Amino acid sequence: MKINFDTPVVQSREQRLGTIIAWDGKASELSSQSEFARRSCASGCGEKGRRLCEMKGPFTQGSVCSEQMVECQAGHVRDAVLIQHSPIGCGAGQVIYNSIYRNGLAMRNLPVENLRLISTNLQEEDMVFGGVDKLEQSIRDAWERHQPKAIFIATSCATGIIGDDVDGSARKMEGELGIPVIPLHCEGFMSKHWSTGFDATQHGILRQIVRKNPKKQEDLVNVINLWGTDVFTPMFNELGLRVNYVVDLATMEDLAQLSEAAATVGFCHTLSSYMAAGLEQEFGVPEIKAPQPYGFAGTDAWLRELARVTHREEQAETYIAREHTRVKPRLEELRKLLKGKKGFVSTGSAYAHGLIAVLRELGIEVEGSLVFHHDPIYDSQDPRQDTLSHLVDNYGDVPAFSVSNRQQYQFYGLLQRVKPDFIIIRHNGLAPLASRLGIPAAPLGDEHHALGYQGMINLGETILEILAHKKFHEDLASHIKLPYKKWWLEQKDPFLLVR
Amino acid sequence: MSEKEEKVTVPQIDKPARAKTNSIQQIRYVCSIGAMHSASAIPRVIPITHCGPGCADKQFMNLAFYNGFQGGGYGGGAVVPSTNQSENEVVFGGEDRLRELIGSSLKILDADLFVVVTGCISDLLGDDVGAVVREFQKQDVAVVFAETGGFRGNNFTGHELVTRGIIDQYVGDYDGPRTPGTVNVWSLLPYHNTFWRGDLTEIKRVLEGAGLEVNILFGPESRGVSEWKNIPKAQFNLVLSPWLGLKTAQHLEKKYGQPFLHLPVIPIGARETSAFLRAVVAFAGIDPVKAEEFIISEEGTYYNYLENFSDFYSEYWWGLPAKFVVVGDSAYNLALTKFLVNQLGIIPGKQIITENPPDEYREAIRAQYRNIAEDVSTDVEFEEDSYRIHQLIRQADFGQKPPIIFGTTWERDLAKEMKSAMIEVGFPTSYEVVLSRSYIGYRGALTLLEKIYTTAVGASA
Repeated sequence: MKINFDTPVVQSREQRLGTIIAWDGKASELSSQSEFARRSCASGCGEKGRRLCEMKGPFTQGSVCSEQMVECQAGHVRDAVLIQHSPIGCGAGQVIYNSIYRNGLAMRNLPVENLRLISTNLQEEDMVFGGVDKLEQSIRDAWERHQPKAIFIATSCATGIIGDDVDGSARKMEGELGIPVIPLHCEGFMSKHWSTGFDATQHGILRQIVRKNPKKQEDLVNVINLWGTDVFTPMFNELGLRVNYVVDLATMEDLAQLSEAAATVGFCHTLSSYMAAGLEQEFGVPEIKAPQPYGFAGTDAWLRELARVTHREEQAETYIAREHTRVKPRLEELRKLLKGKKGFVSTGSAYAHGLIAVLRELGIEVEGSLVFHHDPIYDSQDPRQDTLSHLVDNYGDVPAFSVSNRQQYQFYGLLQRVKPDFIIIRHNGLAPLASRLGIPAAPLGDEHHALGYQGMINLGETILEILAHKKFHEDLASHIKLPYKKWWLEQKDPFLLVR
Repeated sequence: MSEKEEKVTVPQIDKPARAKTNSIQQIRYVCSIGAMHSASAIPRVIPITHCGPGCADKQFMNLAFYNGFQGGGYGGGAVVPSTNQSENEVVFGGEDRLRELIGSSLKILDADLFVVVTGCISDLLGDDVGAVVREFQKQDVAVVFAETGGFRGNNFTGHELVTRGIIDQYVGDYDGPRTPGTVNVWSLLPYHNTFWRGDLTEIKRVLEGAGLEVNILFGPESRGVSEWKNIPKAQFNLVLSPWLGLKTAQHLEKKYGQPFLHLPVIPIGARETSAFLRAVVAFAGIDPVKAEEFIISEEGTYYNYLENFSDFYSEYWWGLPAKFVVVGDSAYNLALTKFLVNQLGIIPGKQIITENPPDEYREAIRAQYRNIAEDVSTDVEFEEDSYRIHQLIRQADFGQKPPIIFGTTWERDLAKEMKSAMIEVGFPTSYEVVLSRSYIGYRGALTLLEKIYTTAVGASA
């Protein structure tokens, strides 16, 4: 299915990909029920072939919205401004994304600064009379204050409901200022999963920033990522390639030249799916159709495909052989040190598939894991990107594999099923419960930490570090009470209420 | 796809004077639903959020995580139930979904009281949240609600809505006797003020030391809902802040005939704290002997430390800040200004209040600054937009050396630019880890002195 760039509103993940947020079973089952295998749900719960059975229940804990993902992407473009067209509450996110922006800049050796987000601060009367005047004022303020190279606009639940003509204002202000003014439609209610917010940002960038008449740069590779440390440059140097990191911490020029690259890769298909497929569809920039670069199997296949597309096969083989030799001795030591340990991954979808592979490379048992959502297919629709099948085929099944949208009350039972020694997380909300059960968490703030050959070593070392934290968590666990009722804690089935 | 020029051309737009607009860059408060934290600040009380999927997470991660890394505690943070409203509820209304969520929360979560707070979606679509909640109240379920849609106000006004919701719907009517010497304390905004836990603990400690029984109501020293049930039995209410809590106290006066004492300055240091205790004891009309003994004991300890500190303060060679800037909400702003001027003799440079206090309170707040000491008068400005705040500070004249800045994470870059020492004392404080630390009262003042001068000395070489 072709991505539609004619309209300023992105199609949600559930509409495009059939995304689900609640499911329980074996990884192999989820993989075979997903679109890549072209099988529909056995119980016939959907007409669309790509629809998976999804559970739904009465109890839900706070999730995350698409607008937050727009803040953490469009809000982190270094020479742009993001306007949050909303009441002041949506602006709360400025705090966390500022901290992440500052620490991300520091990690990349870029000048540390506050981010540039402006709230239109809508009031009760604006709900009645509309907020576009305030939107235009804030756009003018953004220009006067920073002379940015682009201005993004994030919509909100409130402006979506009152029906502000954000697209009209954006067009008008673009004419007035002569810079791209890009509406990003990301009302929280419009998608059940926040990853639609990634797509909303990437949709706007593809429509209004990327150069339409690209001059190809044969050694440039787009890396769709977040704030992670620069692990791609040393790797790409070996192949004579250059890195173009987007969207976070990028400049407008980095975004504009996306269409000129020789290929697009990412660290997580969940994040990169839309942009990579869009670049291929609109500008012929090939997306690397391979598993993600985690573990030997994934990294080998990923490097070989990147090398094939960029015609650097020889350098790649030399590099692969050298890296295998380099990391193996320490990997052997780590395997001994981690022998018998049980891990549990609880992160975003495609990323989790990669991390489980790395744990298995380290000899760690992974009997259970959860992902926040599941995309039965990615935008490329290419089976070579089927990360879940890649995991199952190369590293074996995960018996207790759950899709749970950051629902902590379910997480309790999931941990009881497999009793892991540690968990791996990125998003907030689950590690506090694990901690109160005496289980330490490895928070991967640097999303590149476990990537590639070195990533296996990195993750192994980090797990050793956090296993030592067990003392803290066990002490805490013996002194506190959980907020859940005994009845709930005694249930064997974490999905009891949603089946 | 529309075609864009590669080169940016500077457009000719009129450059108006930088007048105040609706824009708020680098926020210093959040919206009303942020007051879900006023519920989870009460032991064993859990908020239920009826809102979009991101609202609860946003308020928590920003007010309680990247603000001193305070944490969600028992019933806050990630365990907060939320309807995570989707398109379906936007089209068909959210009452059924809310009913289902309250019902299932009762089954799963162990709380003494649930507080339903609402977001923009519900308030715009007009869900009858009251009707849904009353169905449960009729079955004696401990649940209350407050309509806190984001466009209705900020988390300060939301706090008073939540407080009032609990008083009217849970504490209820009372016409029995009142206990002399017992006081309800309405002071710092929980979680928004990064140091509220330690500070409320210190307030309770000194009031008890002076002979009062204290319902502190929020934080680790609160006895939870039983303490809230005792609100009407207290002799009086103490509003210890420039304005927050006044509406609650006025409501309690009307509802229970309970008088209130309003003291706008949160006391920092021996001088202020002793004066504060004497004022409260006089209002309560209790025997002052216990208070005076406590004051003597506390001042003895306090001035012993100050005596030792004076070696440093009087003969440290390498220069100390002479002027200060405070950017923050009125409670800490006024308290710090009072302490810095009166205890340390630092010269006020610029004071900016950032929480948008209702107009009706602003003149009284200004008057406090005009009379900050017997011989010192200063001014204060009200501004919420950090871009303008930073311009105001840049434009001020601080004389021969840069001022010390008491502010937030938003001032980190400004402080570097001005070569100022800087201490994060308010929302957002993303580069401090805060557990029980307090900057007020007798003990907190000493911690504050340590923090100020460690910052100044630590950056010297």
